[in-house]
Amino acid sequence: MTRWAMTADLRRCVGCQTCTAACKHTNATPPEVQWRRVIDMEFGEFPNVKRVFVPVGCQHCEDPPCMEVCPSTATKKRADGIVTIDYDLCIGCSYCAVACPYQARYKTDKASFAYGAPTDNEAKRHDAKRLAVATKCTFCVDRIDAGLEQGLKPGVDPAATPACVNACIAEALAFGDLDDPQSNVSQLLQKNQSFRMHEELGTGPGFHYLWDKADL
Amino acid sequence: MKQDATDVRKVPTYCYQCVAGPDLLTVKVEQGVATEVEPNFCAADRHPGNGKVCVKAFGLVQKTYNPNRVLTPMKRTNPKKGRKEDPGFVPISWDEAFELITERLQRVRAEGMTDASGYPRVAMSLGGGGTPQSYMGTMPAFLSAWGSVDFGFGSGQGVKCYHSEHLYGEFWHRGFTVSPDTPMTNYLISCGANVEASGGVVGVARHSKARVRGMKRVQVEPHLSITGACSAEWVPIKPKTDPAFLFALMHVLLHEVPRERLDVAFLARSTASPYLVGAGGYYLREPVSGKPLVFDAKSQRVVPFDTPDIVETLEGEFVAEAVEHGPDGDVLGKGSLRGQTSFGKLVAHMATFSPEWAERLCDVPAATMRRIANEFLDHACVGQTVEIDGKVLPFRPVAVSLGKTVTNGWGAYECVWARTMLAALVGGLEVPGGTLGTTVRLHRPMSQRHESVKPGPDGFMWSHLNPTDKEHWSPNPNIRNAYRSMVPLATDGPWSQALGPTHFSWMFLDETPKGLPRVTLPDVWFVYRTNPAISFWDTDGITDKMTRFPFVVAFAYTRDETNHFADVLLPDATDLESLQLIRVGGTKFIEQFWTEQGFALRQPVIEARGQARDFTEIATELARRTGLLEKYNAAINKGAAGMPLKTQYGDFSLATDVAHSREQIWDAIGRSASAELSEGAEVHDLAWWKENGLATKAFAQSDWYLYPTLAKQNLRFELPYQERLQRVGAELGRRLHEHDMHWWDEQLHEYQALPVAKDFSELWTDELARLVRPKGGKTSDFPFWMLTARSMQYAWGGNVGMQMIKEVANNIAGHRGVILNTGKARELGIEDGDDVTISTPIRSVHGKAVLRQGIRPDTLLLIGQFDHWVTPFAKDQGMPSMNALTPMSMALTDSTGSGADIVRVSLVKGRSATTTPTRERARA
Repeated sequence: MTRWAMTADLRRCVGCQTCTAACKHTNATPPEVQWRRVIDMEFGEFPNVKRVFVPVGCQHCEDPPCMEVCPSTATKKRADGIVTIDYDLCIGCSYCAVACPYQARYKTDKASFAYGAPTDNEAKRHDAKRLAVATKCTFCVDRIDAGLEQGLKPGVDPAATPACVNACIAEALAFGDLDDPQSNVSQLLQKNQSFRMHEELGTGPGFHYLWDKADL
Repeated sequence: MKQDATDVRKVPTYCYQCVAGPDLLTVKVEQGVATEVEPNFCAADRHPGNGKVCVKAFGLVQKTYNPNRVLTPMKRTNPKKGRKEDPGFVPISWDEAFELITERLQRVRAEGMTDASGYPRVAMSLGGGGTPQSYMGTMPAFLSAWGSVDFGFGSGQGVKCYHSEHLYGEFWHRGFTVSPDTPMTNYLISCGANVEASGGVVGVARHSKARVRGMKRVQVEPHLSITGACSAEWVPIKPKTDPAFLFALMHVLLHEVPRERLDVAFLARSTASPYLVGAGGYYLREPVSGKPLVFDAKSQRVVPFDTPDIVETLEGEFVAEAVEHGPDGDVLGKGSLRGQTSFGKLVAHMATFSPEWAERLCDVPAATMRRIANEFLDHACVGQTVEIDGKVLPFRPVAVSLGKTVTNGWGAYECVWARTMLAALVGGLEVPGGTLGTTVRLHRPMSQRHESVKPGPDGFMWSHLNPTDKEHWSPNPNIRNAYRSMVPLATDGPWSQALGPTHFSWMFLDETPKGLPRVTLPDVWFVYRTNPAISFWDTDGITDKMTRFPFVVAFAYTRDETNHFADVLLPDATDLESLQLIRVGGTKFIEQFWTEQGFALRQPVIEARGQARDFTEIATELARRTGLLEKYNAAINKGAAGMPLKTQYGDFSLATDVAHSREQIWDAIGRSASAELSEGAEVHDLAWWKENGLATKAFAQSDWYLYPTLAKQNLRFELPYQERLQRVGAELGRRLHEHDMHWWDEQLHEYQALPVAKDFSELWTDELARLVRPKGGKTSDFPFWMLTARSMQYAWGGNVGMQMIKEVANNIAGHRGVILNTGKARELGIEDGDDVTISTPIRSVHGKAVLRQGIRPDTLLLIGQFDHWVTPFAKDQGMPSMNALTPMSMALTDSTGSGADIVRVSLVKGRSATTTPTRERARA
């Protein structure tokens, strides 16, 4: 079996938003829609303060709350763990956006562009099917599937790897198959301490945050 | 027309929007439309940042299709210039634009290249620390053909760069920019160096790897920056007191640990520590040869420093037959003279700067400083070696990096000296793991640091300083900022104009100080990739002066605050539309030291939009119309576009009597570059470069380190005692006083052989007092220190009109307003998002409050440089800038001609009715 997953090393991330921008390029998301983004968090009080940058987005949960509430079965989970949305089935009710504890889902009712009217590149890539439906990070599923067809390895070969991972200048993001003990994500999780966001909710996120070396 | 769905290609090119470039990327082009940026994965094994691309490059697609671009040449129809005046720009043809410019240029040539004051009649301002050169094609060849040009009307350079690091760093270790050897450093003290935001892809990649490897970084700065967030420890120091902190570290090393824990051998053999200093403060010299003297422990005699087989003594006082020369060759002593070693003087000098002394100034506990100093020493590995490229080199994995505002303005000399001395004390200068220079800009050759090392006087590297002797010093500068007369360390090379006091060009327009020729307006002012109307200080004052410039030619991407005052706007083909080959790799900028070197091509990814023209075509046409074609082509042949066309590996020279197309010119440059790179084995035409985008060869890691080159030539680092600078300062003072020029006297005090740390923040308080006391005000009415910090998303500001950049930048605190301490805000009744007014005694700006814990209660932070009032999109964002608040002040200018981004301000809730903010004044 395959379980695609992503890791984010919080020691490495600098909040540069290169992943955010790369995602916007690859997925042609409209203004203010960020399937991948990095939030800037603070803990403590001056002078004992910690600041940390946390990449967020769809966690591709094992037990996705968004899927549970979807009345149209538009949201599905593939056998490889990727949570998908079928735009043809989605009725835009937004139950999923409310149910998602990770605030990962967006809905855009009207076409919007950076400067009002679409520029040439926006016109080229505008997809009306994404209006009035839920959208979110797909783990760049098209790249993964196309890459696998060509015999490429997601997480290793750029053409088969999510754009945010390819773009990450700090090498904070990694992608791979959790079921493969030799994959980069499996190795990273083995060698480092990690947590998952809102683990207590039992959603089983496929997104793991590394924060220190493991006591091996 | 039906489009071919298979017409999709990925085009390799580069991004050099900031000095941390170039980033190597590919752009996906679908049916002629640029759609996506990706890293150039093919460059992953050759680029130290794994071929990745920073966030700014992802803005290039939007930059290209931005509907707010200027896409035709335009001319001003309203002769009256002013912020409130509509320029009345109307489209014109390129032919008319060239005619307008050529007519002015021909008039300049007819009247004389310099004006009655002796200043060039033509000026040009470029932004971004030299980055415009990677976009302006063959324009340098036109400028070379033209002759005298004043590049000294600054837009921030000189006062917003790492100015003292540039000048002193290059002087001491060819470190125009200085970096830790991040791949090997294990302990890094970073005083305000915001490398995670300013170090580009390579900086982020290296530091990320180092953190996971276990490098400890201690971030010392008043606010918890991006870099602070990623550091092991944050030390919230009081602004502009870093000299006290660094001196305290030196004190601990010199007075609290056994001497043998320092690299005594390095100090004795590779620095001037053993040189004897006489009673007058200058080296004791052998009477005949004039060589500095040292005490040889082996023979127990005082001998010239370069005597073979000696053991130099680091500490002590000795008597010798000697001569002591002061400034202008004055004989201060002759005969049997007593001298103390430079190191001995250093030890005595540092005695007072204890951690307890520093604590009172910099608000850092003495115990913290003592611990950091000891951790630094514990990690220094004194005595250890490492093998690199088959060479056994010292291994000292500790370093100190300094950021902006620490490395410029008063106190910066003290900081860069202390940083370099901390490295020297443990033998960590220019060795693996230690503190490295990574760029040479003032000495030649600029592409190879090691070749710039040549023997100079007194056993040091040769360094060119602007003359201060009576015969050669002149009160008549070559350009308006007077760098050659006032700043010996700026030298006199191609980069020197930008390293002088670039604010003087603006300040002196109204009142030129006594002794200098009256500063004049240039007849023609070219502006490219810079926006001084918002990026420099006293932006109100600068824009008022811009109204008087008689003829301004602005290469315009969009309308902006500077080209608002232009007479002609020229739309140059921008990043994804034009053609240029540049050198990459080797060592340059801060973290950009590679294990490869070569060339990268920027190429038209799509056809240029509208009537935008490639800079090379513009330069060629200007040369043709001004009758300079032969000189222009000759300059290209000589290498003005980055690569000489005739080398030992082939002659690809262009005929000088005809105008060549853009492709012909870059084809020749590409051929010559590939021939040089392969030592004649391969010659690649432009088509090859367009297909491949990049060609490199190996650059040895051992060439990152300058120490072996000095050692090979028996040269010493000119540390710790600054005898030469003391002499130069004294001579400069004499020259100025001989011409009744006394307005530089405070700056002359900075020429100290051993610098003295103090609370430099008091200088800014004194300046405030000068403004408020005559009005009956108090300095305590302005209790905050206003600082700025780099935004990685906006760095260098050329992308402020990009919606996507703003969108993603807003995920990071501080891009929506002014950051202030949450607890302090609570005291003032200010909530997150409230309107606030920030004021100096003479100006105010408005913004939104952003409350954070990670900032000192006495400090405010305004990221980046905004306050736009013309630039489309940016002008509607309501972001203030400290540039409107920061004065241009002689009192706040240090001896290198630099100032610092810091100002005392007040902050109140709401929009104060008693002040008129800059933007509102503009809109009034």
